[in-house]
Amino acid sequence: MIEFQNVSFAYEKGRPVLRDLSFRIERGEAVGLIGANGAGKSTVMKLLLGLLQGEGKILVDGLEVKRETLGEVRRKLGFVLQNSDNQMFMPTVYEDMIFAPLNYMLSREEADARVDAVLARLGLEDLKYRYNHKISGGEKRMAAIATILAMEPEAVLMDEPTSALDPFNRRLVINTIRELLQTKLITSHDLDMILDTCGRVILLSGGRIAADGPAQTILRDRVLLEANRMELPLSLMGRE
Amino acid sequence: MHMADALLAPAVAATMYVASGTAVGVSIHKLKKDDEPQKLPVMAVTAALVFAGQMINYTIPGTGSSGHMCGGMMHSALLGPYAGFLSMIVILAIQCLFFADGGLMALGANVWNMAFYGCFVGYFLIWRPIMQSRWFGAGKGAQRARIVAASIIGCIVTLQLGAFSVVLETSLSGITELPFGAFVALMQPIHLAIGLVEGLITSAVLLFVYESRPELLQCVEPAEGGSSRRSLKAVVAILAVVVLVVGGGLSLLASSNPDGLEWALFGNAEEGYAENMGLDEENYGVESAAAETAGAIQEKTSFLPDYAFADNDAAVGTTVSGVVGSAMVAGVAILICLAGGFFRKKRQSA
Amino acid sequence: MNKMQKALHELAEMDELAARSSPIHSLHPAAKLIATIAYILVTLSFDKYDLSGLVPMLLWPILLFQISGVELRSCFYKLRIVLPLVMAVGLFNPFFDKEIVLRIGPAAVSGGVVSMLTLMLKGLYCLMASFLLMATTPIDNLCAALRQLHVPKMLVTLLLLTYRYVGVMTGELAIMTEAYHLRAPGQKGIHISAWGSFLGQLLLRSMDRAQELYASMLLRGYHQHFHYADIKPFRRRDALYLIGCVLVFALLRYGKIAQLLGSAIVR
Repeated sequence: MIEFQNVSFAYEKGRPVLRDLSFRIERGEAVGLIGANGAGKSTVMKLLLGLLQGEGKILVDGLEVKRETLGEVRRKLGFVLQNSDNQMFMPTVYEDMIFAPLNYMLSREEADARVDAVLARLGLEDLKYRYNHKISGGEKRMAAIATILAMEPEAVLMDEPTSALDPFNRRLVINTIRELLQTKLITSHDLDMILDTCGRVILLSGGRIAADGPAQTILRDRVLLEANRMELPLSLMGRE
Repeated sequence: MHMADALLAPAVAATMYVASGTAVGVSIHKLKKDDEPQKLPVMAVTAALVFAGQMINYTIPGTGSSGHMCGGMMHSALLGPYAGFLSMIVILAIQCLFFADGGLMALGANVWNMAFYGCFVGYFLIWRPIMQSRWFGAGKGAQRARIVAASIIGCIVTLQLGAFSVVLETSLSGITELPFGAFVALMQPIHLAIGLVEGLITSAVLLFVYESRPELLQCVEPAEGGSSRRSLKAVVAILAVVVLVVGGGLSLLASSNPDGLEWALFGNAEEGYAENMGLDEENYGVESAAAETAGAIQEKTSFLPDYAFADNDAAVGTTVSGVVGSAMVAGVAILICLAGGFFRKKRQSA
Repeated sequence: MNKMQKALHELAEMDELAARSSPIHSLHPAAKLIATIAYILVTLSFDKYDLSGLVPMLLWPILLFQISGVELRSCFYKLRIVLPLVMAVGLFNPFFDKEIVLRIGPAAVSGGVVSMLTLMLKGLYCLMASFLLMATTPIDNLCAALRQLHVPKMLVTLLLLTYRYVGVMTGELAIMTEAYHLRAPGQKGIHISAWGSFLGQLLLRSMDRAQELYASMLLRGYHQHFHYADIKPFRRRDALYLIGCVLVFALLRYGKIAQLLGSAIVR
């Protein structure tokens, strides 16, 4: 579904953020992308979405990510931003949710049906006509996820989906993510959440892959994690 | 400087709407031609930022009072004239709709007084020429000095124009009995001070932006070269002196010789403002939708429409009935309120 | 509470009022907008001495306030902005226009006093009318009406986007102001050494925010076109309301209601 082939990227010349990165994510896989601040996690996301152009080749569902294919590529990918305020720019949740379907040339009826289906699935019917500036942080995050699901993407990318949420809302988001059948790529420092939602973990360090393997293996490797400025997930502490 | 609806005659309000609307049309046309879709979110976020930024209190050193900014010049420096203009309009619209700052009908005038001057005059006549000039020489220090100079001159000039327009619009509307000259003498010096403070705040913010992200500023080339902070202080000092001298002179002129100002503007010095405010509406194309208004203003000292002079017995009756009737209307209004409250209570209890 | 928090509070209050339901709330926003503009224009068209003509204009907003269930006092809070400005201009009138136009018993009323009063009434009426519009119409409905009335799409979209971020930005500045004053307890405002960086910092962050916002639009297939919720149809009752309003305004403007009422008693 997603493939990076020898991808490098630098914001400034001589200071590469990503160096010769290669990995492959199969359809339906759930992958956690972890690493210290500045390891290049967000850059990977931006390259994948075509918001940045680097060297090397990136494939999404067999399509190379480049200017001509951007429309098609982006249609396949749903990106949940870390800051929901930046994602939800329309006045109401409903208008934000129909934004993408209508842009993809669906009729108003089809778009409405999609919105209602997604809201029902996530149990968010109450939010439909609420104002984006008047809903709580937790509701906003769920609404942002709903906005992306209304696009019916083939893969869902998430940037810190559980940041700044209370335990209840965090759990709600985690359960929602677990129920998604799409290919998932999630970046986070919340390793417990990654452990709960992802089968595979890619650990980035200094723009290279430091480790790539089953979540259960990597997230139990105290030495590896601590060498990369992280610690064991709380749920695994004392159980190595 | 937000005009309220009550200060404008319908004809003046409509004229200002047409003027501002034309500028909107031009701006949208230009922006569409430039075709920069990423500009829209930048405009929205900048507008929201300036809206909030207007509420910041800036302490003015040595005075104990605080200054504010309005943001026209900042908009043109960050977004350019057309996008800046539209962003300012949106700010003014939100202020008028949600905060009663300004008014629905006064919006056209407010857009003209604050957004048009700040963005178009401020950009084309001040910001761009100064940024593209070789004032203060080359290098980073000179660039800083140019930013400060353009911000201060820009804010002062555009606020002066805005304040003058406020006076003009109010006087043309026939709202105030304050003689035109005196009104000008009152408004201009105040806005000189306000403009200076706004200019200093604007230049401080723009300098900060220049240091970290110079590419965000319009017409500014990220210059290489040594920095000399001294030239900056010198510029501020020189500008301050110039402002004080010019401002003092202008306000002296305005207060001592209002007739002269009037004559220069309207060419009817003989009439004297005491009689006529120096304004002859017909010559300025102001026509009110309501037939009597214009005439009433013109000859207001000689007759009062629908009312009688106090010493005219025949007409006192109508005046008194007017007063009594007004009282009755007020009574009806109170009754409506009571009835509304009654029905609401009934609905709640039902 | 600092200024920004107060502003947020005011915004929230308007949202809350607009979200209620009443016969006025359910009217088409375009009808309300046009009626409001007509009301303001008629109010402004009164001559500055026509106090008794102006007084009956009060009835329309009062009636609508009652029907819509919006409390009058929520509007009077906003008078603090309108009145000082109007007063600043109007207060000069009694000094310059001393012609006596009316005697009530021993008291003589000059033209300046009358014109000052009409000015204040006009300020009050216009405030009530536009407050009523915003208190019964959510902003997105109003924007839909603006588009129906052929206000350029770019402007309307910008208004909506800005409105969405006004709350966010004001909230951020409120927090920054609070943080500033917690570390500078004696200061009333921002010290000159921080004039540039205080707003500048937020400005730079905002530019990044704008980029992210644009990315979010692009990633959801944006190509220069915004879609909004469906616009309500203009029904017969909306037309009736509008026609009714215009008739009432005409009556109030040319009917000399106060004079007629008064003369029925006086004579």
